[in-house]
Order: sequence, then C-alpha cells, then structure tokens
Amino acid sequence: MVDVHIGLEIHIQLLTSSKVFCSCPSSFGEEANAHVCPVCLGYPGVLPVLSRGALQLAYRAGLALNCSMAETIALDRKNYFYPDMAKNYQITQFARPIGEHGWMEYDLDDGERKRVRIHDIHLEEDAGKTIHVSDGALLDFNRAGCSLLEIVTEPDLSSGREAERFLQAFRTMVRYLEVCDGNMEEGSLRCDANVSVNHPGKGLGVKVEIKNLNSSRFVRKALDHEARRQERLLKSGREIVSETRLWDEKLGKTVSMRSKEQALDYRYFPEPDVPSFTLDDEFVRETEAAMVELPLSRFDRFVADYRLQREAAEYLTEEKERSEFFEQAVSAGAPAQEAGSWMKGELAKLLSRTGVPLERITPESFAALINACTEERITPPQGKEVLKKMLETGDSPDEIIEREQMEGGVDEENLQALISSILSSYPDVADQIKDGNMKAIGFLMGKIMKESGGAADPRKAKTLLLNTLGISQDTSN
Amino acid sequence: MNEFLKEQAAWKQLLSENSTRRSYQQALVKADTQFHALLETDVEKGALMAAASQETGKLGGIPFTVKDNIAVNGFQFTCGSKMLEGLISPFTATSVQRLTDAGAVPVAKSNLDEFGMGSSTENSAFSITRNPWNTDMVPGGSSGGAAASVASGMVPFALGSDTGGSVRQPAAFCGVYGLKPTYGRISRYGLAAYASSMESVGILSDDLGLMRSVFQTVQGKDVHDQSSIDCRDYEYENEKPLTIAVFRELEGTEPEIERGYRTAIEAVRSLGWNVKEIQLPSLAFSVPSFYTIAMAEASANLARYTGVRYGYRAEGASNQEEMVRKTREEAFGAEVKLRILLGTYVLRSGFQDQYYLKAQKIRTKIRRELERLFQEVQAVLTPVFPVMPYASGAGLTSMQQKIADRYTITANLTGIPALSFPACVENGLPVGMQLMGPACAEHLLFSAVQKLSDALPAVQLPKVITPQEVLNG
Repeated sequence: MVDVHIGLEIHIQLLTSSKVFCSCPSSFGEEANAHVCPVCLGYPGVLPVLSRGALQLAYRAGLALNCSMAETIALDRKNYFYPDMAKNYQITQFARPIGEHGWMEYDLDDGERKRVRIHDIHLEEDAGKTIHVSDGALLDFNRAGCSLLEIVTEPDLSSGREAERFLQAFRTMVRYLEVCDGNMEEGSLRCDANVSVNHPGKGLGVKVEIKNLNSSRFVRKALDHEARRQERLLKSGREIVSETRLWDEKLGKTVSMRSKEQALDYRYFPEPDVPSFTLDDEFVRETEAAMVELPLSRFDRFVADYRLQREAAEYLTEEKERSEFFEQAVSAGAPAQEAGSWMKGELAKLLSRTGVPLERITPESFAALINACTEERITPPQGKEVLKKMLETGDSPDEIIEREQMEGGVDEENLQALISSILSSYPDVADQIKDGNMKAIGFLMGKIMKESGGAADPRKAKTLLLNTLGISQDTSN
Repeated sequence: MNEFLKEQAAWKQLLSENSTRRSYQQALVKADTQFHALLETDVEKGALMAAASQETGKLGGIPFTVKDNIAVNGFQFTCGSKMLEGLISPFTATSVQRLTDAGAVPVAKSNLDEFGMGSSTENSAFSITRNPWNTDMVPGGSSGGAAASVASGMVPFALGSDTGGSVRQPAAFCGVYGLKPTYGRISRYGLAAYASSMESVGILSDDLGLMRSVFQTVQGKDVHDQSSIDCRDYEYENEKPLTIAVFRELEGTEPEIERGYRTAIEAVRSLGWNVKEIQLPSLAFSVPSFYTIAMAEASANLARYTGVRYGYRAEGASNQEEMVRKTREEAFGAEVKLRILLGTYVLRSGFQDQYYLKAQKIRTKIRRELERLFQEVQAVLTPVFPVMPYASGAGLTSMQQKIADRYTITANLTGIPALSFPACVENGLPVGMQLMGPACAEHLLFSAVQKLSDALPAVQLPKVITPQEVLNG
C-alpha cells in the first residue's frame, strides 16, 4: 500500500459580462477576434482597468470557500512568452491572493464527509487560443483578458474518485453562486492536478503535475492511472521524476510534457498599472449580501427537514433551480417525500428524454399533480401521463385531467366486469392463487392495470380481485 | 494686447484656414530638414481631430506636437523603434484627447530615443534630432524632438514623456520649460509603457501661462488609467516668501551648470525667499535604485513586441519561437536590449531580494526623506543635468548617461512634480535648472518659476518659425 496525495488547481471563468481589464464582452462562440480591442490585444500605450464585477465574483467564491479574504487587492505580473498571450505577461495575483487558508467539504459515495483545504484563490486574466492549421497557427484573442479565478487546493485528496467527487461538488457550488457556469467541455471550468505517492505515513512524495483534464471523468481516470504509475515506480525502487505530464485520453495514460528543469522562471513583480487598493465597506457588504445557501448545507437541510433519502436530496440539490423548484412545490402543498421521489423519478426521466427544461412547468402545477395523485383523484399511472402532457403543452394538471376525463378512474361496476373477464381468460392463474400461490396476484394486477389504461385504482382493484377469488385480504399479505 | 496674446491669436488664425494650414505644413517640413525633430507631420489630419470639438477657448486652434510614444488615432505610433515602424495607432491617448476636445491641434509626432530610453535623441531608429541652438549639438532626450519643436518655434507647446528626466533634460538642453507632473495626475493611457510606476506624460513650452492652461486641461483622473488621480492642489499662501532647499555642493557638474545654479540661487534670494542648504544622503543610491526598477518594468513592458500581432516581423524563421527571437534581435536597438536584459536579470527568482526589492526599499527611503524635507521647504532647486548640451556622436557613454540622470530621477522615483526652466545662456547654449515640489504642487511650481524667470535674464529662443511670418508668407 502507498499513500496517494492529490491536489487540484482549478480555473474558473467568471460570469462577468465584460473582460477583466477592458470593456470587451466576455461571451463565447463568436467569430474569431470579434471581441478584441487595443487593451486585450496588448497594443502599446494601453492600460488595464480592473473590473469591479470580476472582483465581486472572486470575493463571493472566496467567502463560499471559507477563505480569509484580503482587505487589500494587489496584482502581480507573471512573465512568460506565449503567442496567444498578448502582453507576454499575465496579470495575476502572486504575493497577495484575494483569498487564503480556506476549505470546502464534500461527501464521498458512501456519505462520508471530507474536507479539502484551500491553499489560496487568486484572480487573473485568461489567454487567447492558438488554433493549429496545416501551414502554421492562427490566433483567436476573444478569450484573452477574460476573468479567471484560480483555486489551489492542498493535496488532501487520495484517489481519482475523491477528486472527481470533489470537483463535482465544487462545480455545483460555483453554479449555485453564479460565479461560473461550470462547463468543462467549453473550458469555463478547467482542472490541473498534482499527484504524489509515498510509503504510508511518510508524507508527500515527488510531485507530478497532470494537465489536460477536460472532464471530471478524465480527472478520475488520469489520477488513478498516474497514482498507479507512481506506485509501481516507488515499489520497484525507481525514481519518480518531478515533471508535468499530459493525460492522453486515446492512449488512456499520462505522457511526459516537460521536466522540472525546463520549468520557467516567471519573474513575478507587482503590477504597476493597477496600484493596490483597499476594498471599501460597501463592496464587502454588497458581496456578503449576494451570498446564497450552499449546496451542501441545502443537502443537509433537505435530509433533516424533509426526511429525504440521501440519494434524493443529492439529486435535488445538485442544481440550484431544481432544489428551489422542489421547495416551492412543497410550499405549494406537495408532500415533500412524494415530491422528491416524483422529481428524481418520473420528472427526471421525462426531462432527460425530452430535453424540455424544468421551467416548462411551475412548482405550483407540479404540486397540484402530486396532490391529485395522493388524494386519489387520479391513479399514479395516470399521474405520469398527466406529467408528460404538462411538459408537452405547459397546461395545468387540472386542465389535462378534465380534458382527458381521467378523474374518478374506473367505477366499481366496470372494474368488476374487467376483473371477471381477465379471470376467465386466465383460469389456470386463478387456480394457482386459490391454491395459495400469492405471487401470481401480481400477474393479474398487471393485466388489470394494462387493460384499464392505468385508470384503475390499484388498491381497489386488488381488493375486488381477492373478493372475486374468495380470498380474505389478510391471507394475501 | 501683449506679445503672447498676439502670438496666440496668430496661431489660431494660422490653423483656421485650409490655405494657411498648407503654408504651415510646408513651413514645418522645411524647418525640420534642419532639426529632424518630427517623424510624421500632418497639420490637416490634426485639424480634423480638433475641429470635432468646436471648442474655441484658450487652447482652440493652438498647435502642438506629440512625442511618438503617445498614441494619436490615425497617426503613426513608432516609439522611435524599428519594431513599430508603420504601426498606425487605433486609439488616442487621454492627454491628447483632452487637448483636441479643447480645440488644440496635434500637428506632428516628434522624434525620441527608442521607447524613451536615452538622453540625446540619437537612439532613434529613424533620425538624429539636432539642437535648434546649435545643430551640431544634441537636443537632449528622450523627448528631444518635442523640445526641438518648441525651441525652433514650430509649435508653442509639446507633449513629451518623462520616465527619468526625459521631458526636463531636453527642455533644459533646448532652453524651454519642461514639466514632469505628480505621478498619476496626467493619465498615462496612450503612453507606450517603459517604466510604468515612474513615468508621466509631460509638457514642454516656452510659455508658462500656456503650459499652465495645457496642464489644467489634461490633468485629472481618467477611467482608462487606474493609477491616475484627482488631486487637490498643494496650498501655500500666495505672497508668503518661499523656502527653497539647495545643495551646498554639486559633484561632478560642469562649471557652466555650476554657474547657472549659483545664478538661480541668486534669483531666489533676490525675490526675498529663504534658501536652506541641505544634504539628502539617500540620493547617492537613487541612480541604481531607479535603473533597477525601470529596467525590471521595461523587461515586462516591452515583452509584447514580438511581431506576432503588429509591427516589424523578421523574415525567414522556421517556427514561431524563432520568429519572435529574430524579430526582437533585429528590431530593437542596443540600448533597449541592454535594459531588457538587465531587467530580466534583476527579476530572476532568487535574486529579487538583492536587486528589485532592495531598489524598492531605497525608493521608499528616498520618498520618506523628501516628505520630511517638504515639512520645512516648499521646493528643492537643482540643476537638471550635470553637463551642457554636447556634440552629437561625441557624447556620454550609456553608463555616463545613466549617472547623469541623478538630478531628475528623484522626482520619478518619488512621484513628485518637477518643473525645469532656462536659467541662463552659457557659450551660446541654455542652462537648465529645476524646482521639485511636494505632490500636487504644480501650481506652486508654475508661479515660483514664473517669478524666478522674471528675475533671471531673458532667454531668447532660436526660433525659425513664427505664426506671424508664416501668415505673412
């Protein structure tokens, strides 16, 4: 056995409307170099002006990560040449990051709660993109100068799965905070990692950096692979080289990119164009006022207050809108556990199948649907049908129930006729039940529900069925 | 109407008509064949910019030159470097914008030492500017083109930039006034950065009243420059005698400068002001401190010039990295390369304590020393440069030039304002002195220097252009 130590460096693109040091829009998917100006192209004579919006989002993230927040904002220059970096230095925070010494909690698969310490978070600008073509390279500076927040964790994670779970929890949190859309495919959330292994209790080993982790699944696979690679080296007594490696998804392994000796000297020094300044009270007040309940607290509250299963609570709190929809449905009168299982079950299924957004229905109409079921105005199978139609049409459940004449289900007379007809079709099954094979009841119930088009009330139907067979209720249980 | 108002009226008249603007354009081009002060001259283009404002106030119709490291939309923006040859600026510096908004007319881009690095305007990739007093002599630098454009009468004022004396020293060499304002009081937006934490856009003129109007127009906070400030003027009772700090001894200073200094001190006394002899021990470290910080900042500020997005691009490179290396090798001058290399050296990890951080400590010490001094005095009188204008090609070595910046760099290191002025003429060349004041004391400096100038012998500029003469054909 070895100890595995994993730390993450996460970059998130802040959801600001403009770039961090100029007024160019920070939207994506535009034509190359549509959103550029002399400032983000690094023309001679231009100066950066720090966006207050970016600062606010960074500060909000810092508060959520329990960081001790800087009172003074100070920026530094990080010097290195790269063709898609317009100034050939990046404005970042080195000596005095905006937040330090934080932590974030998340739950493992088995529900165990873990804490990852945050070394620091710092604000910086993004670079452009290099697009390699057959006869050279093209540069797109749309992304250059967009605001980034880098979050550096301590090496507190010990497996690929832990890192994946943490990253998912982190993503959920930044989406709650509305500081980042968390889209890893589009690169608005990017993750690098450092991994070291060592003999148990011996502390950190030789650190290897892993880049190119473009999804949380890659994070898990790459880190597990890298940990195993290092473990083999360690056990066979070979040297683990301090280096930067890339995850190659096609090969399913990490490959060496550059060694530590080739590491750059960034020659940091204070950014003279943005003199350090102290945050005013109004800024701090505004930012604190914008704080929201975080997903993990909401999860705990859902489990405690609504007595939800962990899985249901986890599903409901995974997205802020979803959790709010749930609570609004509950305040509109839906029983919490029913609402939870409907959301995690039928609603989730329909949403993912149809691609219709949750906003298509209101929590109030969703609550009305659930109540129609629990009050037995319609049967659960009818309820599913109503929900489907709600998502299709946007109509209220009452409208749909009335239009489809669902209410009242199947009356007793018709139900009795249906049961008799089914029993006559399956006399052998009826005999088995009379002989005491109670499992066969399920088969007949299924037929009844199917034949009634879901309109039969399952409990009534079962009572009638047993009566018809001359079996008392108790023996059937 | 006094002489000055007459001249202002003549400038306005000259710039008001197509035909007279053409004559002016021709006069500028002709005069510049002697001085090589201008890199691009386009009166008509400048007049179009100013016309947009419809402003006919004090500065309406007054022409000026802009040092070619300050952006003017549609004009070239070379910074005196082969690296940026052919670059046309896509935007206008705030200082220039405020002037054109007030109706003033940018008529030419002036020559400079490459990226503002030098004291003679011989380090330009395009031409060597000559001193209008004597064309064998250098005009000083790096704003040598600006100073020559004013001294020769081409324009009544010019915008330059002062990182370590680059406005004041050429002003002194050419016998005009040169203002380096309080750091941040004039926006740096549009000034190509060399040493960001120390430099300012500055003003050169032969008339203090005009300089004051220009200063009033351009100063103040700018949304494009986060280091810019609005500051309340330093207050001092108008009629109360000033106390001026002077050095008892000047080391390594030429006798003409020494005599000029004594002349200026005599003028101070003649006004009934107090003279306080001082020593500033930490000044001994100002040159190494200044150059360490300036080069460190320059190494980053000039990293953007790679030929990737604009400007010069080397031919024949087989990959991107080689292209950048060749471009910088071919397009930067020797002095620029030296400063980038030294700046890179002092910022290396593990060496910062020894160089960059130590330099910043010295800077803080000098700032404190001056703050204490300004509790007792209102201004410090020093020479601008320890040597007289020298012959082109026979001047100071790169190292001597840096040591010679010792009087001017104090104001840049500490961010205080300084105004240089012609004190007298020695052997047919002007001798410049400067007054440094506490932060935001520009107006005190204007009025103090005005009084000193009135008490000193008049300095007659070797003008080859006057608006009246151009008007009269």
